[in-house]
Amino acid sequence: MNVPHGGEKVTEPIKSNHDVPLEASRPEGAVPLESILCTEALHRRPWRPPDYGKENRALVALATALADSPRTILHTLAETVLEVLQADSAGLSLLTNDEHRFYWAAIAGAWQPHIGGGTPRDFGPCGDVLDRNVPMLFTHWERRYPYLRPATPLAEEGLLVPFYVHGKAVGTIWAIAHNDRRKFDAEDLRLLESLGRFASAAYQALASIDDLTFQIAAREKAEAAVRELANGLEAKIRRLVDSNIIGIFICGLDGRIIEANDAFLRIVGYGRDDLVSGRVSWRELTPAEYCDADDRRVAQLKATGTAQPYEKEYFQKNGRRVPVLVGAALFEGRLEEGVAFVLDLTERKRAEEALHQAQAELAHINRVMTMGELASSIAHEVNQPLAALVTNSNAGLRWLAGQPPNLDEARECLRRIMRDGNRAGDVITRLRSLVKKSAPAKAWLDLNDTIQEVLLITNAEARRHQVFVRTELAALPPVQGDRVQVQQVILNLVMNGIEAMKEVTDRPRELLIRSRPEESSHVLVAVQDRGIGLDEQSLERVFEAFYTTKPEGMGMGLTISRSIIEAHGGRLWPVAHRDYGATFQFTLPTEGGSQQV
Amino acid sequence: MTEAQAIVFVIDDDEAMREALQNLIRSVGLSVEIFASAREFLTSQRPDAPACLVVDVRLPGLSGLDLQRELVAAEITVPIIFITGYGDIPMTVQAMKAGAVEFLTKPFRDQDLLDAIQQALERDRAERQ
Repeated sequence: MNVPHGGEKVTEPIKSNHDVPLEASRPEGAVPLESILCTEALHRRPWRPPDYGKENRALVALATALADSPRTILHTLAETVLEVLQADSAGLSLLTNDEHRFYWAAIAGAWQPHIGGGTPRDFGPCGDVLDRNVPMLFTHWERRYPYLRPATPLAEEGLLVPFYVHGKAVGTIWAIAHNDRRKFDAEDLRLLESLGRFASAAYQALASIDDLTFQIAAREKAEAAVRELANGLEAKIRRLVDSNIIGIFICGLDGRIIEANDAFLRIVGYGRDDLVSGRVSWRELTPAEYCDADDRRVAQLKATGTAQPYEKEYFQKNGRRVPVLVGAALFEGRLEEGVAFVLDLTERKRAEEALHQAQAELAHINRVMTMGELASSIAHEVNQPLAALVTNSNAGLRWLAGQPPNLDEARECLRRIMRDGNRAGDVITRLRSLVKKSAPAKAWLDLNDTIQEVLLITNAEARRHQVFVRTELAALPPVQGDRVQVQQVILNLVMNGIEAMKEVTDRPRELLIRSRPEESSHVLVAVQDRGIGLDEQSLERVFEAFYTTKPEGMGMGLTISRSIIEAHGGRLWPVAHRDYGATFQFTLPTEGGSQQV
Repeated sequence: MTEAQAIVFVIDDDEAMREALQNLIRSVGLSVEIFASAREFLTSQRPDAPACLVVDVRLPGLSGLDLQRELVAAEITVPIIFITGYGDIPMTVQAMKAGAVEFLTKPFRDQDLLDAIQQALERDRAERQ
């Protein structure tokens, strides 16, 4: 059972400015308990005749007070004791829940300022009374219990009676005389015991009232919380629907649209009257090519209760298509109805388109510029087979002019002329495809072929700078990508590698190009130079647009390369080497690892 | 005493060019030996005969000019004809100063090359006497 929740102040033994320890220890020189007791004197002293009328009136007044204002009943009781016993102070001590202390729950009279204070359970007058389970009369208890010295005025006599709840002592009721003008007698004891019984009843009543109040309060609080939650949630959902930031509609799986917000109607270009007349069905709004995807989502909805957001299109009322992102959830318990969230992707698609165009434009500029850098090398690359071709033609003519003409040698010359002509043509075709502006086209590529194609173009540049190009190419699964764009990335990396070694004179200028399949369905291409390398700062900044360490560079190559690789679902990153040189490498997903494009 | 057969050494890293030069020089009845790099030439056994070199200036590894320097240092006086894909004037001047016989830019006229070869072989013959 709970003790009253009212004035419990267990942490402060005495509320005045006196310092009394929580667990008072017994001081060495404490006088024995018997020396401060004078209980037997009660019966020796002359006593007044009982005034039953006064006692009854007091009890009736207490009972009325208990019914009217139970909260203050303990205080009323203390005042009644004070008055009926004509004491100087009177009050009630209650055992705390942990049974370590008594606290003074109510005090009337001179000790009133000490309300809330108290005494330890195992060393104090209240404890003594409870231990012996009898009323006791004390005199100058501060002689044994020094912590009571600050509780002034000092007690000449203190009369204490235990009181019980369900047969268990839970506290004391007491009266104090602060001088010897008034000595307690047997009649005082009788009255105090009588009031003690009332205290027990009041205590129990108070406890049950408190208990009840507590329960009611708890229930009300819980109900309020639920109400608030429901209100808040409803308000939030209302806000979401009415804010019209995203389109929301409630629908049946068969296609019926039962309810929709303005944002949704705006996306599909229908009016509210169309909705009311039942003309709008999300199935009919959906172009045929998305029906399968829709059916899959409906199956997902039925299986899991939600459909992950996916991109599709709706027909608007005017017949145009609008790109949207749609997610849906079923209502709990109603398996054929749900709510769908629709986001208009028109703006995003437009922005993406613009971004793609800008990127394509930049990529083209980068290719043309790279070609510009390569111009003299490329001229050489074309020149080389042409020079061989001319030389072979001359040799052929000479073999034919001989006497007799050497037809075998002449035939061999013609074969070589054909080969050299084709080689020159190849270089030019590759160059043209790189410089040409063409719409991106995805195809299956063997990256090793792509690497070789690029090397054909950069061969002469490497030779010009006396760079030895080495390849370590492992067999690769095909990747899906745009041939020209991927060539461009490799071209940029190779050109950067050659560039980085221009100043190197103390070691071989070697460019190593490696390819290998990676785990998790990717292939890796690494271009490693033995050049000047990258410091920490450059390592972080190389991918910024217009960042360059080259005097004639525009600083777009790596930026563009990275965006190309990322658009292909891959990753491009640099690795600095401790001694010298740097490696730039990228991964691209193979069939198994490719993201949905 | 009959003089040993003159020989032309061709050093070019481009296989097509190498073979085309070999073919052209053979067509006028000269012997030819071909090499893909200057290093390969330097480590080869060379016959004791009048000779000249036809060298691409831009060789990977040891370049044509490097080779010329090494030959001068080793007091090997074989005349050198440089061919190049680039019209690079400073390089031409440098090569000529170091004793190159001729400097031809690709594509060159076959007669110019053959004339230069004949001239170089004459010079080497004269040197050897």
